[in-house]
Amino acid sequence: MIRIDRAAWDVMVSHARSTFPNECCGAMLGTNDGETKTVQVAIPLENAFAGVQHERYELRPEDLLKADREARARGLDLIGIFHSHPDCDAYFSETDLKNSCPWYSFVVLSIKNGEFDHANSFLPNMEQTEAVREELVY
Amino acid sequence: MAKILIPTPLRQYTEKRDAVEVPGTTVGEALGSLTSAYADLRKQLYNDEGKLRSFVNVYVNDEDIRYLSKEATPLKDGDTVSIVPSIAGGSRGY
Repeated sequence: MIRIDRAAWDVMVSHARSTFPNECCGAMLGTNDGETKTVQVAIPLENAFAGVQHERYELRPEDLLKADREARARGLDLIGIFHSHPDCDAYFSETDLKNSCPWYSFVVLSIKNGEFDHANSFLPNMEQTEAVREELVY
Repeated sequence: MAKILIPTPLRQYTEKRDAVEVPGTTVGEALGSLTSAYADLRKQLYNDEGKLRSFVNVYVNDEDIRYLSKEATPLKDGDTVSIVPSIAGGSRGY
């Protein structure tokens, strides 16, 4: 299960709304006790995709490196990635899957007409062929 | 010796250590030392052909080894190696 603290959740939704109609992305920092991941800090990151960002996002590895360093400095862990799907549901698309990493939770926020609609979390496998839903509490 | 920083989800393979000092004069040698010491880590980083998985980026200090000499990138004492995932996606392609 992944639980997102209110302050972090507000940052994620705010980032997704402010970048609408483009996709947003960011990093989630927190703790993992083996059963529950708890997101305490969300870091909005720039969508670095070079084309139309309405339906694509890309994270710069350097930005993730900085996020990981920030996590270490705060005594937290980088435990997940979030991004938005503007005007569509919070599924894990083929594009999401083929560009994923099995080490992290992937939270997808559905933003419709500029407002938050719903969200899901996914855990992709090593071969990037399948992602299972993870219980998400926010 | 170079220090390799271990991402949180991979620390289950490194006896919970968040950083490991390993011998090696290149990035490839250092990663080889790391995955020899922690064999279960190997399949997280390398595919069946022995190549780094597509979602694995490696940095030496602040430099991406793709823009240096890849796994032949030389290391000197005190260098820090980071394993950074490559992540993208998008709603298109459902």
